[in-house]
Amino acid sequence: MTKNLARWSGEIVGLHKTPRSFLPMKNFRCLSLIAGVGIDGDRHATGEAFHSDRPEEGRQITLFEEETIDALLRDHNIILRPEDHRRNVTTRDVPLNHLVGKKFKIGEAILEGTRLSTPCRHIEQITGLELFNQLLNRSGLNAKIIVSGKIFTGDEIRMV
Amino acid sequence: MRNRIHSVTTEIVSIEDDVNNIKIFTLSDPDGWPLPSFMPGAHLDIYLPSGLIRQYSLCSDPNNKTQYMIAVQMEIEGRGGSSEMHNLSEGMILPVSLPRNHFSLGDAKRHIFIAGGIGITPFLSMLPDLISKEIDWELHICAKFGEKISCQSLLKKYEKEPNIYKYISHGGNRLSIEKVISKIKSDEHLYCCGPSSMINDANINGKALGDRLHFEKFGIDEHLEDAAYQVVLKKSGSVVKVPKGQTMLGALRVAGFDVPASCEGGICLECKTRFLAGTPIHRDLVMQPSDRKEFITPCVSSCSSESIELDL
Repeated sequence: MTKNLARWSGEIVGLHKTPRSFLPMKNFRCLSLIAGVGIDGDRHATGEAFHSDRPEEGRQITLFEEETIDALLRDHNIILRPEDHRRNVTTRDVPLNHLVGKKFKIGEAILEGTRLSTPCRHIEQITGLELFNQLLNRSGLNAKIIVSGKIFTGDEIRMV
Repeated sequence: MRNRIHSVTTEIVSIEDDVNNIKIFTLSDPDGWPLPSFMPGAHLDIYLPSGLIRQYSLCSDPNNKTQYMIAVQMEIEGRGGSSEMHNLSEGMILPVSLPRNHFSLGDAKRHIFIAGGIGITPFLSMLPDLISKEIDWELHICAKFGEKISCQSLLKKYEKEPNIYKYISHGGNRLSIEKVISKIKSDEHLYCCGPSSMINDANINGKALGDRLHFEKFGIDEHLEDAAYQVVLKKSGSVVKVPKGQTMLGALRVAGFDVPASCEGGICLECKTRFLAGTPIHRDLVMQPSDRKEFITPCVSSCSSESIELDL
């Protein structure tokens, strides 16, 4: 399994942040990742996130697979835009569910997967879409930032 | 007190006086970031500095992504919410809920609105939507004798619309709801927002409309049908009432008990709490049967007894 995992290579297809809980995420071409802190200007870095009253080192940045967006449309006729899933990075061809405890390179930065994201009613409240159950086991990855750096849409993501 | 990060943070950017002792508040994000979107007919819960929570309909255009507007009429004999609202100032931070909608537009060829007094507000968020979609509508606005038509400054832009009818009760042409309803066709919907006497009138005369008759309703989430009950907190010795339409977690938070919770959908178990007495209704998706004999998830679960005792 480790051998196969080392072979994959994916890319960033979307970057998103918001300064406070509940506010819509905006799309960006570039984000600045600060090791041990989070994304410059994002609510997880400033203590303004919905969960910031329960700080978690492993939630400095979050990632979500574009393949899930495709599956929601294909299997459930749910249109979820990349900026609506509330994670910071939309990926393509990256096996996020296999990256807990693994280090991987994303643009200039290096991340370490900490735990799988769980779906949250918060996203249903914000989007108005009923997708909590549809996101079980594919709600993305929480990670901490090991090495700072800028990341851009189109950047490669690969194992370190 | 509600944790600020569990609300939408808004700043009061302007307060304008309207007729009938109404103030119109414009709210925006402190940095001008877009606000959560809303649908026509939606309202906000406003978290007042005193801890009171009040609901007000959004009366702005849903297409305006950076501002919310609400109109608040001072109720001298009220429970204190409007009075506190009227004492707020421009520049203050005002936490609000996500917009919620219990008064949405139905699927109709034509929409007929009846507004009494300040009840005009939800329709002010519906009109821009219908106009932009070129869907027919008709608005009947009523005012009590001695009062003026409410929210005049917001109605100004519709001055040239031929399908707005204004009525002053007693002193002039009092609206006949019966007459309005008698003209409603099978593909049209009626919406009523105003004092209870007006809603009763519409309800009595509009029974035949069935689902095509809509009333403004605040406070209760439709999916939360459990009867009211109370939570006894053993360690603190407190008793918290959970009204119909509220989650156990929500009631505990309102009462000032900060129970850690994350997904609020019954899968992360972060809010898992030991219960000591009562009959729980478990709605989590993941707890083991053996755990369910001891623990409950207040975010989604409830109880079928009159009270439940928690080890808090």
